[in-house]
Amino acid sequence: MSRRRARQNGGQEEYQVQGPSSALTSFLREQGISAEAIRQRYEAGLRRQQEQASSGEEVENGELEESDEEILEGEDIPEDVKLMRERARIKRRRARRDRELDDEEDEGKNFCIECDREFVISVYSKRMEKYGRIGYLCPECTSNEIKRQRMAKRNEIEARKRRKKVAAALLDKQEYRIPSLQDCCINVISKNIDQVDLLGDIGVVNMKKISRILSKNRSLDNRTMSLFLDSSMREIEFWDCSKIDSSAFDKIPAYCPNVERLVLNMCGRLHKDNLKYYGEKFTNLKYLYLNGAFLINDQAWQDFFDSPVGKNLKGIHIKNTHRFSPDSLISLLDNCGNNLEELTLSRLDGLTSKNVYDLLPHYLRKLKHLEISYPNKEELIDDELLINLLGVNGETLESLVLDGCTGLTDQFLISGVKPFCPALTKLSLVLLDQITDVGVKELFTDWDMNGGLMEVSLARCIELGDESVYALLEHSCQTLVELNLNSIKNLTRNFFKQIGRHLRFPLLTTLDIGFVRSCDDSALAMLSRVAPKLSVLEVYGNNRCTPAAIVRDNLKIIGRQSDRLDVGLQNESDELAVRLQLVQTACSEEMLAELVQQLVDARRGQLTIVFDMIDDVGEVSGVFLDKLKLEEKRPERNRAPNKLCFKMCK
Amino acid sequence: MTEEVSPYVTLISNDGFQFQISRDAAMVSGTLKGMLNTSFQESSTNTIRLHELDAVLLEKVCEYLYYNLKYKESVDVPEFDIPTEMALELLVAADFLDV
Repeated sequence: MSRRRARQNGGQEEYQVQGPSSALTSFLREQGISAEAIRQRYEAGLRRQQEQASSGEEVENGELEESDEEILEGEDIPEDVKLMRERARIKRRRARRDRELDDEEDEGKNFCIECDREFVISVYSKRMEKYGRIGYLCPECTSNEIKRQRMAKRNEIEARKRRKKVAAALLDKQEYRIPSLQDCCINVISKNIDQVDLLGDIGVVNMKKISRILSKNRSLDNRTMSLFLDSSMREIEFWDCSKIDSSAFDKIPAYCPNVERLVLNMCGRLHKDNLKYYGEKFTNLKYLYLNGAFLINDQAWQDFFDSPVGKNLKGIHIKNTHRFSPDSLISLLDNCGNNLEELTLSRLDGLTSKNVYDLLPHYLRKLKHLEISYPNKEELIDDELLINLLGVNGETLESLVLDGCTGLTDQFLISGVKPFCPALTKLSLVLLDQITDVGVKELFTDWDMNGGLMEVSLARCIELGDESVYALLEHSCQTLVELNLNSIKNLTRNFFKQIGRHLRFPLLTTLDIGFVRSCDDSALAMLSRVAPKLSVLEVYGNNRCTPAAIVRDNLKIIGRQSDRLDVGLQNESDELAVRLQLVQTACSEEMLAELVQQLVDARRGQLTIVFDMIDDVGEVSGVFLDKLKLEEKRPERNRAPNKLCFKMCK
Repeated sequence: MTEEVSPYVTLISNDGFQFQISRDAAMVSGTLKGMLNTSFQESSTNTIRLHELDAVLLEKVCEYLYYNLKYKESVDVPEFDIPTEMALELLVAADFLDV
């Protein structure tokens, strides 16, 4: 329009007067349209009109509509006008080309980024970044991509569930397995135990299993208990008796008079009358385990030990009652002390007389198992008592548990255990903080009389160090099955190095090395190598143990902080999210870096790291940038203080 | 022993019902595996008579054998459905079959 008007204006004579130029004028000049050229063209047009007047009129209209190139095609025009037109044409062409390019690249209307097919973009087209470009997907690829992402999400949920179950099983020190048909049945039976009238011939093992499950569910009561009572039973164990009342306790000897081993755990409702009744009826009873029988008073204990049944006992395990007094113990020793093979006195706060404890060596002759743990006061159990006890019983003693007897020192090890205990296979000295590196080393150095221990716990013996533990391992490495070195914090890296070079553990299956901070990945690898049967290794609190440790497949490592990491694809933007559910102190920079390195190796693309419990990400981010040569990218929106975004520049 | 082994085995209940199941499924049971891997009659005929189990129980057992075979590797498994009234008998059978 404007052009036409300009042309019309150009036709008038007064336009030649130059004045201040308007925006339109300057625009026209820019476009290569000059009034002079237009005037000439107009005059030429007039001339032509006159020439053509004879031939025809029709050209006029079309001429006005068409672009100037076409109008003047094949016409004789001045050189400068031609040049001007040429320039304008180039300019227009360039502008058009630019516009086309813009269409293709910026809006991605035409071609699918995945299959490169032409398509019409709609609101449903998926925008994504791929092969270093940003673009849209055609409808087909979009639906494929959505499907793929849905699958990935489902797989991720599946994988997360799997990890969770595996981790839960790991904590129970088991491998996750599909439940056996027997377990399925036992679960159904346990759930519906109220409808069961008789268990029938399901086998002793299954019976025990059901009983244990019921105890664990706290659903063992008078009625369900009676299902397990059978006259043929030789062993009975009820691990939760808190719902069993006094009259039901009487049923046990009434239905099962042949029981030889009776275990009643949490038997707080066991009345003194029950114990009296047991004293008359359990004629075959040899071993009795009572935990938490605090209704039984001193007199009832004495009467029981005085009964024919009490005199017959070979093993007594009593735990967690304050009513077991010094007199009860004297009665016990008087009546069956000479026959006892097993004795447990654990957490008996009523036993406060040192003189009574000192009687033990005078009665006990042929103990195989002795446990005296967590006495009321530490001075009740001293080295002299132990040395005397071991002097008499050492020949037969196989198992010695002295957990929490903190009054004991090196002396009893050197003068008691070392010279008198050739048959000892189990030794537990949890919490003995007075035994030292020197004493324990002395015990195990050249202890040829003893053929080797199978089960050792030195947990929280915090004074021990490299030399003593190494001496123990050197002495017993061929026979050890279970070993607990929890919290022996003085162990150093050198200790692990020495083990790896000199010792082999053919039978070791479980090892707890928790809170021994020097234990690192290389120590794990070494342990995996030197202990081929090792199946459970606990490393709680060792933050140098990472998933990067190279260990056997069938070795379960429990307690690595990394086991709690929840790693996986987070959302559709194809980024990898790492959730670190760690306490700040436990999360070392190296550990994080190592973890991320693995992820980087596994995946390319963008990596988002969410630090759930770390306040200051700035500190750790530097580590990542250094170690991984990552280029940090923090998106402005969604900016959270605990979220870091990295772009990998591999 | 090099002769072709059939991929199926037949389990016969005490009331005469026959169940043909794949060898892999049968191998889930320790007892059946033992029977099929030795030179007993069962391994040559690929037929096992289970005198202790009736058809209802054996059907459930077969169901479990396939259930185990299918979900051995996965974690998110549906619960194996056992009718309450059958649980005790099935437990005895499972104890015998070592599954």
